[in-house]
Amino acid sequence: MTVAIETRGLTKRFGGLVAVDKVDLRADAGETLGIIGVNGAGKTTLMNCICGLYRPDDGDVFVAGERVTGQPPHVVAHRGIGRTFQIPRVFRKMSLIDNLLVPVLDRKAHDAELIEQAEAMLERMQLIDLRHNHAEELSGGQQKLLEMARMLMPDPPIVMLDEPFAGVHPVLCKFMIDRIEETARAGKAVLLISHDLTSIYRLSSRVIALNQGRIIAEGGVDDIRGNPAVIEAYLGT
Amino acid sequence: MASPSRAPDSADRIYFTLTALMGGVLLIYFASVPLLGLNVAFHFYLMLWITMASAFNVASGFAGYMPFGYVAFYGIGAFTTAILVKKAAFPVFLALPLSGVAGIVLALLFAPTLRLSGIYFGIVSLALAGICRLVITNMPEEITGGSFGLQLGSRAHPVQSFYVMMAVMVVALAVILWLSRSRLGKALRATRDDADAAEMMGVNVPIVRLWGWLISAFFPAVCGGVEAWYTNVVDTETAFNTLITAKTVIYAVAGGLGTVTGPVLGAVAMVWLDELIWRQFPLLNLLILGLATIVLVLFLPRGIVGTLLRKKPQWRRYIP
Repeated sequence: MTVAIETRGLTKRFGGLVAVDKVDLRADAGETLGIIGVNGAGKTTLMNCICGLYRPDDGDVFVAGERVTGQPPHVVAHRGIGRTFQIPRVFRKMSLIDNLLVPVLDRKAHDAELIEQAEAMLERMQLIDLRHNHAEELSGGQQKLLEMARMLMPDPPIVMLDEPFAGVHPVLCKFMIDRIEETARAGKAVLLISHDLTSIYRLSSRVIALNQGRIIAEGGVDDIRGNPAVIEAYLGT
Repeated sequence: MASPSRAPDSADRIYFTLTALMGGVLLIYFASVPLLGLNVAFHFYLMLWITMASAFNVASGFAGYMPFGYVAFYGIGAFTTAILVKKAAFPVFLALPLSGVAGIVLALLFAPTLRLSGIYFGIVSLALAGICRLVITNMPEEITGGSFGLQLGSRAHPVQSFYVMMAVMVVALAVILWLSRSRLGKALRATRDDADAAEMMGVNVPIVRLWGWLISAFFPAVCGGVEAWYTNVVDTETAFNTLITAKTVIYAVAGGLGTVTGPVLGAVAMVWLDELIWRQFPLLNLLILGLATIVLVLFLPRGIVGTLLRKKPQWRRYIP
């Protein structure tokens, strides 16, 4: 199996607080790696370090074996990492089509071809009828779908989803789970952060549990489910 | 479900037809002003404000900045033209593009401030405009003319400068029209809405912002140069007057930032209103204009075109 993304000893400090502490992770192509942890465990910070938004204090990030540590986010994005955000960060005053075109602006393809691809993606996400609306006119759940569509538009080999199910209606949740499964089946490495353990356990082939920036458990779903350290971190017992 | 591939074609056709119609009407109207003996001065300034508001729209409506010191580009353009023409005996037609280059050079000097945002950028921009004014005021009198400024002598040619102003306006609108549909324009808008998200989507934010900033700086500098040629005189009091920034902002906001037609309509409506008030109430001109601006912002916070498109979102695809 090809290693799509890997971190080695990744560390990020904010003053005296160690938000991410020597994290080693690896996700292969076609694999969904679940990342769980209580609030403040360092999940989103880890994601921000991987995609270049934060410069890690120590450690390295490798995409398809190439070191991308410390590269600016747009360079990391071009190496093939797409992501969504915990609170949707769509381009509010742009149409849905334009939102989807942003990650492919550097492509040499003709505009009409890219628009056609964007429309196909919106069709897949059941947003096609709203394609000319501004993103700010969408509901929260629809904005999550739009973000997912925007992330998938450049066909990145690695996708990172930060709490995709937070505040989303169960029907839409099911729809998103199906899209994530399709994405992994298409051979992409999926890094999935979620508080929704049911979805994580359903989608992930492996899971890592973070607590205070450190990996406290790693393994298959069954290993994590019964792991005393994870239970203690989640339930405090 | 409607076929997704057909609709953009017809929308594009309507968009380009509307653009050509509006551009044609604007062009014919302004071109005929000197020929029909209409008020050349009024229409010269109308074109100048259309250009200023439209160029400001690039920095503000497209890139999300609020440069309160926007007058700096105008002032530097005015002085570049005046110095080149008066002191270096450059032909006006060579001095004008060079004043645009001066605007770009100044924009490059200000470029490090682009990492700021919101009110911080606005305040720093205002301060930098003040510094520009002070630097020019304190330059040797032989160069900038001191407190009397510079007079361009016998080079004034109102009708020629009127048509040059028209050409500058047409080029500015064409560039902004292109920008609004270009990939650079989309990248700028994405950066305006969420710079971090845009960067993580692969947009090289600093470069994109710089391009927007340079486009936005070039046209006011040329406007300053053309106005210097038109009025035949340049001094720091008028060339760096903060009212120039204020008017530019008001006209652009009144029409609606982020659209191509917004600042044009805003400038047309407000310059006409200004003229009307000036004729009827010369002593209360600024007071009434200020009240009109407050009413406009209160009731049409997104400007004329912005409010219209908010109410009729389906028109967004047809209106430039």
